[in-house]
Amino acid sequence: MLSLEEVEVAIQGAKILRGVTLRVPEGGRIGLVGRNGAGKTTTFRAIMGLLPLERGGILFDGASLARWPAHRRVALGIGYAPEDRRLFPNLTVEENLRLPAEALGLAPAERQRRLERVWDLLPELRELRDRRAGALSGGQGKIAALGRALVTGTRLLLLDEPFQGLAPALARRYGEILARLVARERGLALLVSESNPELVAPFVDAVVTIERGEIAAVTRKPGL
Amino acid sequence: MELLLLLALLDGLAYAAQLFMVAVGLTLVFGVLKILNVAHGSLFAIGAYSASTLAALAGTPWLSLLALALAALAVGAIAGPSIERGLLARIYDKEQVLQLLLTFALFMILEDVQKLVWGVQPVFEDAPVRALGPVVVGGIVYTAYQLILLPGLAVVCLLFLVWFLRRTVTGRMILAVAHDREAAEAIGIDSRRIYLLAFTIGAGLAALGGALAAPTTSLVPGVGVQTIVLSFAVVATAGLGQIEGAAATALLVGLGRSFAVYFAPELEVVVPYLLMVIVLVLRPSGLFGGRELRRI
Ligand SMILES: Nc1ncnc2c1ncn2[C@@H]1O[C@H](COP(=O)(O)OP(=O)(O)OP(=O)(O)O)[C@@H](O)[C@H]1O
Ligand SMILES: [Mg+2]
Repeated sequence: MLSLEEVEVAIQGAKILRGVTLRVPEGGRIGLVGRNGAGKTTTFRAIMGLLPLERGGILFDGASLARWPAHRRVALGIGYAPEDRRLFPNLTVEENLRLPAEALGLAPAERQRRLERVWDLLPELRELRDRRAGALSGGQGKIAALGRALVTGTRLLLLDEPFQGLAPALARRYGEILARLVARERGLALLVSESNPELVAPFVDAVVTIERGEIAAVTRKPGL
Repeated sequence: MELLLLLALLDGLAYAAQLFMVAVGLTLVFGVLKILNVAHGSLFAIGAYSASTLAALAGTPWLSLLALALAALAVGAIAGPSIERGLLARIYDKEQVLQLLLTFALFMILEDVQKLVWGVQPVFEDAPVRALGPVVVGGIVYTAYQLILLPGLAVVCLLFLVWFLRRTVTGRMILAVAHDREAAEAIGIDSRRIYLLAFTIGAGLAALGGALAAPTTSLVPGVGVQTIVLSFAVVATAGLGQIEGAAATALLVGLGRSFAVYFAPELEVVVPYLLMVIVLVLRPSGLFGGRELRRI
């Protein structure tokens, strides 16, 4: 469904990604594992169209996304939860979740359906719906960012280091949520980055290792 | 003495209303696009001149009032999109200095365009003021236009903007882009469209400010410079991107200046800038600044 072909990205003249090739099939669950500074976030931003490519291409359902601005990629059914959450602090949690559905111009019934899907998967978020996003704790913010990504992410979910900075109990809870999500929605593809491969192992079917902007290894079914 | 105080108060209110109308557009554009649009002053001037021309053609005083609104709408709707699409959209990824220089260059060009179209002789058309007649407050005869219409419209404009930004989907999208453009794009917001919209609203507000000011003063070349400098003082004192803040500061500057006129005339011209300097030295991000565009 999503494929990156020899993607090269430079930021301020410095080459950050040097030929990243990566495939996420329909319903595939891929872990993108690499140390700090390896290029995980840059890969996500390139997929979203937030950074221009120097070379290479990104395809979705076989069609090139080269001339697609970020907001149109979102409309394809891609949801992106950035590592630093990036919620809108003075909107409530619910407004944060509604905004993407409204921006895509979805019909009211569909907007409601998408919201229910999120409340259903993340009941703790429903309790916080009227809270200002700026008043959430770091962990609650991570869950809210996941919820917001789910609103548009009906086909592909991009999660950038979702476990980073979570207390152990919350990390476990987050893992459960993801496990439940992938079990429930077979067609939903997932690309999730981590520096620690063990954290993603329970719910991915392949781990792609990225080192200094290059794909160093692809391991299928880690731990099996 | 009491009469002077009252007079200063009334003058200050009328003046603050005018200041707010221009300043709020400048701050909105900055809050969203992060560009300080020097040409905002030209849009004010062109709005003012067009309004005078149209008001003079209107025939009846009441139609001349309508002419002001039409002129502002036309200038905003034509100049806004053509400037944003034609010029600004090409330089969003460039350095801020370049952006500032570009709007400055545009300002210079538009100043000349004004002189070409309207000449250098003063233009004065007060039919809209005559349409509303006088009001008497505490023994002082004032024009209803300046005392009721202008402040009334400023308040309506402020309330409308706050409601629009906070309570409508489009408004929330504008706030989201103002706060974090990349995050907004990543949730499906077309930031190019939002830039266009915010700039057009800002241009319309500048033109409306000019159109409303036109009947109260004679227009001469240079009116745009004066406006951009003053609105910049208001906007910077409030904190760049602050909308309610701009209203409060416009009031402060408006009253400050009119009290100076009556009680310390030699300070009249410097009062706004004096306020700005004092505030910025004490609070570099402005009275209400520190966070980006309003409260998102
Ligand atoms: N805006 C930027 N300007 C300059 N260099 C950058 C910028 N963003 C990223 N880089 C560089 O690109 C490289 C890859 O960064 P990236 O954020 O993609 O890594 P990452 O794998 O997400 O790391 P982390 O685990 O710390 O989040 C790093 O060396 C980083 O210093
Ligand atoms: Mg990262």
